[in-house]
Amino acid sequence: MAEYHPADEMRCPMHFCVGQEAMPAALAQVLRRNDVLMSHYRSHGYYLAKGAPLDAMVAEFYGKGTGSNSGVAGSMELGSHDYNFCSGAIVAGSLFIPFGAAFAQKYRQLDDISVSIIGDGVFDEGITYEVFNLVALQHLPMLIICENNKYAAHTSIERRQAQPKLAERARVFGLQSEQLDGNDCELLLRTLERVVPAIREGKGPHFIEIETYRYCGHVGPGDDEGMGYRDAAEIQRWKARDPIIVMRKRLDGVVDRGELERIEREVEAQVHSAVASAKRAGFADIRKVISNNWSGEYASVVTRFTHSVTPSFGGGQSEARPGPF
Amino acid sequence: MLMRESTVAEKASAGSTRLSFAQSINAAQRQAMELDPGVFVYGIGADGKAGIFGTTTGLVERFGPQRVFDTPIAEGGLAALAAGAGSAGLRPVLVHQRLDFMLYSIDQIVNWMAPWRFMSGGRAKMPVTIRAIIGKGWGQGPQHTKSLHTWFAHVPGLQVVMPGSPADAKGLLLSSIMSDDPTLFIEGRSLFTMQEDVPDEPYFIRLGEALVRRAGKDVTLVSMGSMVPVALQAADTLSKANIDAEVVDLRCLMPLDIASIITSVKKTGRLVVAEPGWRMYGAAAEIVATVVETLGEMRSRPRRVAWPQSAVPTSSKLEEQFYPTSDDIVAACRASVTES
Repeated sequence: MAEYHPADEMRCPMHFCVGQEAMPAALAQVLRRNDVLMSHYRSHGYYLAKGAPLDAMVAEFYGKGTGSNSGVAGSMELGSHDYNFCSGAIVAGSLFIPFGAAFAQKYRQLDDISVSIIGDGVFDEGITYEVFNLVALQHLPMLIICENNKYAAHTSIERRQAQPKLAERARVFGLQSEQLDGNDCELLLRTLERVVPAIREGKGPHFIEIETYRYCGHVGPGDDEGMGYRDAAEIQRWKARDPIIVMRKRLDGVVDRGELERIEREVEAQVHSAVASAKRAGFADIRKVISNNWSGEYASVVTRFTHSVTPSFGGGQSEARPGPF
Repeated sequence: MLMRESTVAEKASAGSTRLSFAQSINAAQRQAMELDPGVFVYGIGADGKAGIFGTTTGLVERFGPQRVFDTPIAEGGLAALAAGAGSAGLRPVLVHQRLDFMLYSIDQIVNWMAPWRFMSGGRAKMPVTIRAIIGKGWGQGPQHTKSLHTWFAHVPGLQVVMPGSPADAKGLLLSSIMSDDPTLFIEGRSLFTMQEDVPDEPYFIRLGEALVRRAGKDVTLVSMGSMVPVALQAADTLSKANIDAEVVDLRCLMPLDIASIITSVKKTGRLVVAEPGWRMYGAAAEIVATVVETLGEMRSRPRRVAWPQSAVPTSSKLEEQFYPTSDDIVAACRASVTES
């Protein structure tokens, strides 16, 4: 996408997760279709982790009618209704839907879970602490994963947080909590294989902070070295422990190199094909699009009852002067 | 919409009971919970002895603590719960004892619930009901009396319902809960003791259908929520002076039944809108603008009766002078009729 985005045919803000691929890759192994996953706006990896189709994602970037959201969401509010994945542009919002979805899963006594992906910037927002408290209080089947990449847009965590120990902060709200290297995909997978079944069994909500790093600027595919908020040496240090490089080294001698190259070629071909078909596709009809704000629909139970009641109230009663409080 | 006429059997068994506005709201929630196991009611004090002015009394005994529960003072978090549970297909009913308190949840409502269906390309639902009570009367002051219905009616994706009578409160709340769209249900506390014969059976009032509560030929008097009984009182007074007002109870701000208003104004040629809220940028302004745009010439200038552009004073003497009364509506209607 970093290759295609600069052509400005997509014309939507896009936040790249280059450098942060380990967690989506691990999560993909442990989630089921009915589990709910919501991420922040750096969402592409998580969309794919949920098994949602690549073609529809790329078409969504191009704003086309064949997009996963019919072209109205773009990258920032990318979602896939059928795969129970959603994302959004407002920081802390990615806590909301999984929180309520986890409530629904417990309410219905299912063993599905809900996963919220947040960034360290979410810890700047007050609503976060209300949700942490409620999730713990209600003992919900929810996993909260915080990708701590040290920066909220261009402001470092040290400049935003008096006490930037995020996992500790989650723990005091009553969430089981741990902190992990976010670039070690194997470690993340082993952890999720322990944590996710426990949540399914009703052992309560869990918080995982992962330390990771983004290479691109906050928004867009380019680097942002000219912005001056982080130094080039820091970026190089993190690039040396890139999750894909780490995984590659670990697979050396375990998986045949030719096989890895074949997989890479295959994925690349899928991406190019998705781009080509997205470019060919048409846009949705604006009249249809703007008719989508309200459904105007009701639960089917209403068909069993009357709607022909004409209330008899004809006035003659004055408003109350309510009592105390 | 698929609501059909009631069957003969339902009609035969249909009785009615004289209920207060608060009891009607209670009955609507009880029946919604009986009809759909996904309906749950929560908010500060929802399972308490006072039962939120009697509107939730007895529900926890009947349905248990999973479906009726008290909460921390965390309005933003509670709305987040509603958004997520609604997206998962439950039908949450979140109750705020004052609308003012729910301002902490504007983000959840405006950024998440409202565009949820739109953002999904028309695929997702958000069947959430938020009950918000307006504390007019008994020294409620600046932070217990705001209505703000127009804030929410302004946002695509939201429905805003404002019942003006007990039987409407029941039918409109049942429809709000069973609606697949997020709905703000605004209750004037000054209406809570009003009584009406309310059908015992569940029934549904189509959201976006106004009701002509009193037919008349001289002036169209549009009102909503707590201004409905005040408007009816004004119409009685006017009739003694041989002015025949047609009282239209809007029931919902969104969807807005502008067609019924226009039909009425075509007949009367005159329009007065009485709104329980601030004048500037209000619902009355929207209605007047749309009617004028649609009809052009009218027999007289449209008029608005609304709150002064001021926060509400607490002192009961000042409060009395603050809120528009039926006399104010009478004066506006008289002026409207006298002009032409």
